[in-house]
Amino acid sequence: MGRIPRSYLLNRVVTLLLTVWIAATLIWIIPRLSPVDPADIMLGRMAAGAGAVENADQILAQLKENFGLNDPLVIQYLKYIRNVVTLDFGLSTATFPTRVSTLIARALPWTVGLMLLSVVITFFIGNALGAIMAWDRSPKLVRVAIPVAMVFTSIPPILSGLLLMWLFAAKLRWFPLTSAYGLTVEPGWTWGFVQSVIHHGFLPALSIVIVTFGFWALGMRGLMITVQGEDYVMLAKAKGLRPRYILYRYMIRNAILPQITAFALKIGLLVAGQVLVERIFAYNGMGKLLYDAILDQDFPVIQGVSFVIILMTAVSVFLVDLVYPFVDPRIRHDGGET
Amino acid sequence: MNVLNVSDLSIDFPTARGVVHALADLSFSVARGRRLGIIGESGSGKTTTALAVMRMLASPGFVSGGSIRLGDLDILTLPEDRMRRARLRRVSYIPQGAMNSLNPVMRVEDQLKDAIVAHEGRTDREALRTRLADAFAGVGLPAHAGSLYPHELSGGMKQRVCIALGVILNPELIIADEPTSALDVVTQRQVMQTLKDVQKRIGAALILIGHDMGLMAQSVDELVVLKDGVLVEHGDMRRVIENPSHPYTRELVASVPLVGGESFLGNSVAAPEITRSREDLALLEFENVNKAYGGITALHPMSFSLSGEEPRVISIVGQSGSGKSTMGSIMLGFNAPSTGRVLFEGQDIARMSQHQSREFRKNVQAVFQDPYACFNPFYRVDHALGFPFRRFGYATSDAQVQESMHLACQSVGLDPALILRRYPHELSGGQRQRLIVARALMLNPKLLVADEPVSMVDASLRATILKNIYDLKDSHGISIFYITHDLATAYHVSDYVMVLYKGQVVEVGPPKEVIGDPRHPYTQLLIASIPWPDPDREWGGTTTAAEDIAALDAMDHDAPTVFRGDVPGFRLDVGE
Repeated sequence: MGRIPRSYLLNRVVTLLLTVWIAATLIWIIPRLSPVDPADIMLGRMAAGAGAVENADQILAQLKENFGLNDPLVIQYLKYIRNVVTLDFGLSTATFPTRVSTLIARALPWTVGLMLLSVVITFFIGNALGAIMAWDRSPKLVRVAIPVAMVFTSIPPILSGLLLMWLFAAKLRWFPLTSAYGLTVEPGWTWGFVQSVIHHGFLPALSIVIVTFGFWALGMRGLMITVQGEDYVMLAKAKGLRPRYILYRYMIRNAILPQITAFALKIGLLVAGQVLVERIFAYNGMGKLLYDAILDQDFPVIQGVSFVIILMTAVSVFLVDLVYPFVDPRIRHDGGET
Repeated sequence: MNVLNVSDLSIDFPTARGVVHALADLSFSVARGRRLGIIGESGSGKTTTALAVMRMLASPGFVSGGSIRLGDLDILTLPEDRMRRARLRRVSYIPQGAMNSLNPVMRVEDQLKDAIVAHEGRTDREALRTRLADAFAGVGLPAHAGSLYPHELSGGMKQRVCIALGVILNPELIIADEPTSALDVVTQRQVMQTLKDVQKRIGAALILIGHDMGLMAQSVDELVVLKDGVLVEHGDMRRVIENPSHPYTRELVASVPLVGGESFLGNSVAAPEITRSREDLALLEFENVNKAYGGITALHPMSFSLSGEEPRVISIVGQSGSGKSTMGSIMLGFNAPSTGRVLFEGQDIARMSQHQSREFRKNVQAVFQDPYACFNPFYRVDHALGFPFRRFGYATSDAQVQESMHLACQSVGLDPALILRRYPHELSGGQRQRLIVARALMLNPKLLVADEPVSMVDASLRATILKNIYDLKDSHGISIFYITHDLATAYHVSDYVMVLYKGQVVEVGPPKEVIGDPRHPYTQLLIASIPWPDPDREWGGTTTAAEDIAALDAMDHDAPTVFRGDVPGFRLDVGE
């Protein structure tokens, strides 16, 4: 406890950088193993648009030159690493010549807003329900109702998304069908815009929450059952503490610890995790960007999005490593257990 | 005036195989300021009784008859919230597993505070602080202990935190459920003294639950003996121990191994002719072995050689943290020494070929402390026994494997027809521990390393299992390293005893000399701290346990090892 020792911090930072470097390298290697040539695809797309392309060979050579594909692999790799460091992933091939970083910068806030919010909400709801399910003093009705509600967990997110759309947007007309904000509002920090964003974000967020809370609830339930059998919970009861206090301070407080680690891993995945939800709600986030890029075989965008996912996972794991010793006094900042 | 009246209490546990009567028609009472002991083996219903008084029986157990009265309270009919308020304020419970009884993520002072607040509401901060300081001082804990987390305390300190908690609201009844079972003898004496002092000071009644006759003799006024949920004897402690009327009580008193007492081993089987190959090479040798973890020396340099020509039982005794288990795992090759070599029949165990390593594994078998963790729960007993036998190439046919398993079971006193087709969870701890001995025996080893083989087994079974192990020496010619904290059993089974303290050998020699007449102050303290099942014998002599511990800390760690008599076939050197 106390301050974070410098050696520990250094160690974690080095691990973080190594992880990101290895991941970035893999992202570079894997597309090069693919038999598909992005330049060919672009040319194909031009041909499809214009009927026929003159000077096809010349354009192909030009494209290869532009993308640096004529350089030796080592040079390509070094250039790539330099670009990664400056978060420059080059130009999108599908929406040529938009920069990948521009696309990501446009999409990221939407996803982080929607997903972070829904994942955090899910984490709290799921863990609370899991704890209630396991607690021996919960009303019977609640303990039966929650597992029933978890049926939703087994429904694929697109189905539940479509169901919600049909019910709340198409039939009841409480919420808009698609997109992230209304066509009539001007983006900006105005109340009308924020209102529109919340209104549009509600259904996608809800579909994520009902599909994923079961993951947390089931995990929490198992952890709670283990904690319930611990000697310190029994002594807490023998001390004459109030049942609710035992639930919060003795049971949930201990059972939640492994869930926090799992949460860090989820944070990183949230960008890619709900691709289909973004897709069906036509929500302009990272998921939709990735989905479209895969369809268009837009390698620079795929690379860029993948890198952002990895960066977010690595950073959130890094943050949990720093925070965890404050949550669990048995873990020390030198990485060992006392 | 009785604090607690229990009359005709019966407790049932409905199970899939029918109702288990955990307790039948139990009646007893405790008066103010008195100490009552409840003694019995695991499954005798002693903890169930305690939990019933707290009204904390684990589901599906329920009280099927009788009554429990605590002063003016009828425990069994009290509304839930009044029962909650009676806990700790009227009756407190000091749990068995103090190791895990404190919330790991809360400072210990907060775990006393929340108890006070739950009963008295928010109180004055300054007054609260004074009370906590008094509570910690009252059990001999330093003032700063309160701001620590449980994992930063030793087992003895945690146990004392639990005692401080148990008496903080001056209850009229304290129930202490095996409060010292996880502690070594020196700490045990200190904790028990603390508990008795505090109980006397607040004038509460005390119920002490346990299985150790010696501890009872030194701690209680009255004794209740339970067997399978039935009270078999109840009376004045001195009367029960000196003049037991029930055969079971007699058995319990007799089964306590005593230093200098009669051996529980009985007559040994006639020793067969053992022919050992390569007699010029010692069976096991330590060459200047030491072990350090980081900057801490777990084991100071030592050399020994066990010839193995004649089978020997070498006991390694000491408190937890003395390095005795480290020594055992180094012998087994699970843990490499920091410097020095371990030789088995002249071969360095760290540099063995695959073939040699297999021979080593076959010839050196181990029995560990926890009989529950030593079996794969998915396999039946016959698979668990037969597998290593086949693996090491002993098996010639299925019939021969069967025969060998039957023989091994019989030699540890188990009926193979009943045991072999069962799963481990269907067996008792004692049965499992004997099976582990049987499994080791089937491989016809030359050496057995037994690390606390009976510390988790009921007292009445300990003698039997130790006898099983001991018989291996004479009937199979196997040498044994017996690692234990229990000096009384070491006294009886061993040919040679090594006393370890903080990784150093402090005294060695034949048990009659080392344990029967200790010379080193540490060994003397260990022997004096054993609670004797004799009410007339003073526990620990004239010094208090706290003084003993202080003396121990001040002890000169560089004092030379006290060498007593020699035993042929074993040679020990310590130091550089």
